[in-house]
Amino acid sequence: MKTRRIPAGFVPEGLPWVAPSVTVLLALSIYPLIFAVKLALTGAGGAPTFANFTRLAHDRVFGAAAAQTILFTLGALAFEFGVGLALALLIDSLARARSIFRAAILVPMLLPPVVAAVCWRLIYNPQFGVLNGTLRRIGIHTSLTWTNGESSALASVIGVDIWEWTPFIFLLLSAGLQAIPQEPLEAARIDGASAWQTFRDVTLPLLKPAMVLAVLLRAMDLVRIFDQIFILTQGGPGTATETVSLYIYRTAFRFSNFGYAAAMSFVLLIATMLFSRGVMKAMRAR
Amino acid sequence: MNAGVEGTALKTAAGEWGAAHGVHVEVVELPYANLFEKEQLDLSSRTGAYDVIMMDDPWFPLMSENGNLAPLPRPPDADFIATCLQVCKNAGTYFALPYVGNAQLFFYRSDLAQKYSLGEPKTWDEVLRAAKTISEKEKIFGYVMRAAPGNAVVADFVPLLWAFGGDVLSSDGKSAACDSPAAIEALRFMLELGKYSPPGYAGFNADEVSAHLLQGSAAMSINWPAWIAAMDDPSKSKVAGKIDFTTMPGEREKGVGELGAWLVGVPAASKHAADAFDFIFWATDAAPMKQAALRGNPPTRRSVFELPDLVANFRAFPAQLRSLDSSRPRPRTPKWNEIENAFGIELSKANAGAEDPAAAMRNAARSIDEILKRTP
Repeated sequence: MKTRRIPAGFVPEGLPWVAPSVTVLLALSIYPLIFAVKLALTGAGGAPTFANFTRLAHDRVFGAAAAQTILFTLGALAFEFGVGLALALLIDSLARARSIFRAAILVPMLLPPVVAAVCWRLIYNPQFGVLNGTLRRIGIHTSLTWTNGESSALASVIGVDIWEWTPFIFLLLSAGLQAIPQEPLEAARIDGASAWQTFRDVTLPLLKPAMVLAVLLRAMDLVRIFDQIFILTQGGPGTATETVSLYIYRTAFRFSNFGYAAAMSFVLLIATMLFSRGVMKAMRAR
Repeated sequence: MNAGVEGTALKTAAGEWGAAHGVHVEVVELPYANLFEKEQLDLSSRTGAYDVIMMDDPWFPLMSENGNLAPLPRPPDADFIATCLQVCKNAGTYFALPYVGNAQLFFYRSDLAQKYSLGEPKTWDEVLRAAKTISEKEKIFGYVMRAAPGNAVVADFVPLLWAFGGDVLSSDGKSAACDSPAAIEALRFMLELGKYSPPGYAGFNADEVSAHLLQGSAAMSINWPAWIAAMDDPSKSKVAGKIDFTTMPGEREKGVGELGAWLVGVPAASKHAADAFDFIFWATDAAPMKQAALRGNPPTRRSVFELPDLVANFRAFPAQLRSLDSSRPRPRTPKWNEIENAFGIELSKANAGAEDPAAAMRNAARSIDEILKRTP
């Protein structure tokens, strides 16, 4: 085996070029992560402890928040992906006016999430809101209280997310569709493949990288959902829309318990990483 | 300070004091949801970013811990209303002065009360009967309450709890008391009242409650003095002059409203403590407090509440003073935010129909006991 000795005092040529970004990464990502882990493992009086992690195991609110976060993520992701893909295919198949439709579909995503949530809070208002108002006008007298109802709150919040972020999936998949070369599609057509066969055996496999990216980016965003729920329901009624991010915020900034909040953040980080790896593996396997 | 009606008068006072003393005063206004966290972070990390902070009274036990607030250089005088003053003390030492004299009031449609010969509601049972009558005859909601988890539902439930003879914590403050038969009965009563409240009230906050009153779509509610001006303003209210304000109804016990005073204090790390104390003593003195009252700030001094020209201008002042005198603060514990959150979740669940009242109160008591036992 050949070895090369590094002369003393050697400075790699690229070091000055990467040093600023490495410093920023260390200061803003690595150090806070290590600090958060240390915080999570420190008890009252500074003694090391696992109490913050053991508490997680039997914390009912955390359990409910975790279950709701999973439900919220999966529910919103499934709808956003399905509708986003359908819209991307539909717009892609149009002969003209594609750019007009594309721009129109992107509008919800361009609103700041907080503004969108405030608007939806007004829309959902059971008595004065435009949603029930419109339903009443067309003769449907609903007693649905949307974000204020125990059984409808989570679905209502998911609805807002679908409205706002389906365009994001649409955007990524549209770009993916445009990047697909025409030759394999033409070859399939010449070979007599049906539209469904072309879609299943040519378009979908070629669209896979864009699909993985869209699912991953959206899932990571959904897992840490905060702003919409904070404005729409504050986690209520009861814990019907409580999510892990909301609970972490409350624990840190309302209850001043930074150690427990750090422990929850760490668990959320690990869960998100495992989920992302799972999605990547599953998509690669196919 | 709070970026809402409660902060407006203090902001003006700060400007006036600054101009009179040749001191530049920078005012930082934050919405209620963020005010606590900014102030608590500043206090606990001793940054000294603020020289005077405005605190909601339930925050005081936590904020005055560990010497984070500077003690007052001299004790407050006896003109301050006793209930407002008692929440400025931690272990016998004063760390703040009361600025906004807030205590819950009972708002009701006096025109409808008269129309159906109901009179001013003195007990919760009378409130329920009135709500029923008004709902049936007027086709509006007889009552409106807020039951969103957290501060909202707890604030609307606690006066009921006290009236039925229950309490959140035991008298020594070391364990939960909210699973007592009286407390469960109070919650059952709340659900009964909920039948006459607009659907979806389990997600309501203060703004929805007031919107229903202002629109004339609900007839009664628990509310805060800050909303009185809006109720009497024809540009905001469809029922201006038709709403009356009185003290909290009782039931088995005398009616007691929740105290929600705003306090001003000086962080221990303040770099201009002498000026800061000079300002808070000046702002809470009788003459500037009268000016603040004219701008809509509920006073904390008896002498200001009783000024004839103010009483002539503010018809609710006598009721506000009676309510303040009899009001009770929320339990004085640094863990109140966490307790309120746990209690509020169960109350909200019960109001949303997701949990039976007895189970909700048992779960709340269990969570509160865990919080009280836990070292932070």
